[in-house]
Amino acid sequence: MTDEPWMIIDSGTYSEPVQQALERVLLDRVDSGEIGPTLRVWYRESPAVALGRFQSFADEVAVEYVESQEIDVVRRITGGGAMFVQPGAVVTYSLYLPTDLVSDDIRQSYADLDQWALEALRGLDLDVHHEPLNDIAHAEGKIGGSAQRRTDAAVLHHTTMSYDLDIAEMLRVLRIGEEKVSDKAIESAERRVARITDHVDASRSAVIDALKHGIRDRHGANERELTDRELDSARDLVGEQFGIDEWNRQL
Amino acid sequence: MTPQASKKVPDGKLVRVDIDVEERIDTVTITGDFFVEPPEARRDLETAIEGHPVDVDRETILAALEAVEATLIGFAASDLADLTMEAL
Repeated sequence: MTDEPWMIIDSGTYSEPVQQALERVLLDRVDSGEIGPTLRVWYRESPAVALGRFQSFADEVAVEYVESQEIDVVRRITGGGAMFVQPGAVVTYSLYLPTDLVSDDIRQSYADLDQWALEALRGLDLDVHHEPLNDIAHAEGKIGGSAQRRTDAAVLHHTTMSYDLDIAEMLRVLRIGEEKVSDKAIESAERRVARITDHVDASRSAVIDALKHGIRDRHGANERELTDRELDSARDLVGEQFGIDEWNRQL
Repeated sequence: MTPQASKKVPDGKLVRVDIDVEERIDTVTITGDFFVEPPEARRDLETAIEGHPVDVDRETILAALEAVEATLIGFAASDLADLTMEAL
């Protein structure tokens, strides 16, 4: 049983390839026992698409549009669906946990690992619930989604929520129901995506603070920065994996 | 030719199976917003379908898929067997 103290990393703005590379770096560091349970909050440099591990690039993304807009499309190490993200318009965080802190039952573990975040959001008067398998939902639609990756000794559980995402731009970037592009499709996507700002008057930093408080209240976490070594490892992985088509466009 | 079939699994994920057919089932590609642990097992699922004759029956494909050691989340081997039959 791990008794390592929790840490929170809440600093640093990085490109999407670096962000996705950091997932592998930090998951591996928990897996090898070098670091304990950690929450990381993400800050992005530019609009991007985080593609699910097993998704087809061309099926999910409007290829010409993302190329013309120089939007990074980066394949995650986790399964699940494509997320369009814009700096300041989403809230993304990651939990890197020793396996012994997480249920063996994968469905249960999604519910468990969303629970603290749901409580934090409810503290802001946002009425949210877990919708199996991996959604954080509001009565009006999906606020966000989580995805996990398991190694021998560690679990990554990362979540992206829409704060005030530009839904019209999302529909230009992602091929959601493209074959029937019409006002109806846009309306239905807008119904499916619920944004935090549509429902509560809270700043993005207030949302992040509430999430951090949720972890601190439960686990008494301290804060730290990413180390130079962690960042160097991530940047190396960008060149080998997360910044190249052989990975990002493999499917 | 590239036969393909896709479905949204009820209470699950979107799964798509693409098949290249020569004499036999040549190359299979399985994509979607599902989860597989370990992730490398996605390729093993494709391999389980590849190499069979185009008139293979569903039970044979299902047995080959079920022999793959993988945890599938959001879909099942039976969904892949159904999609393979549909694509063929």
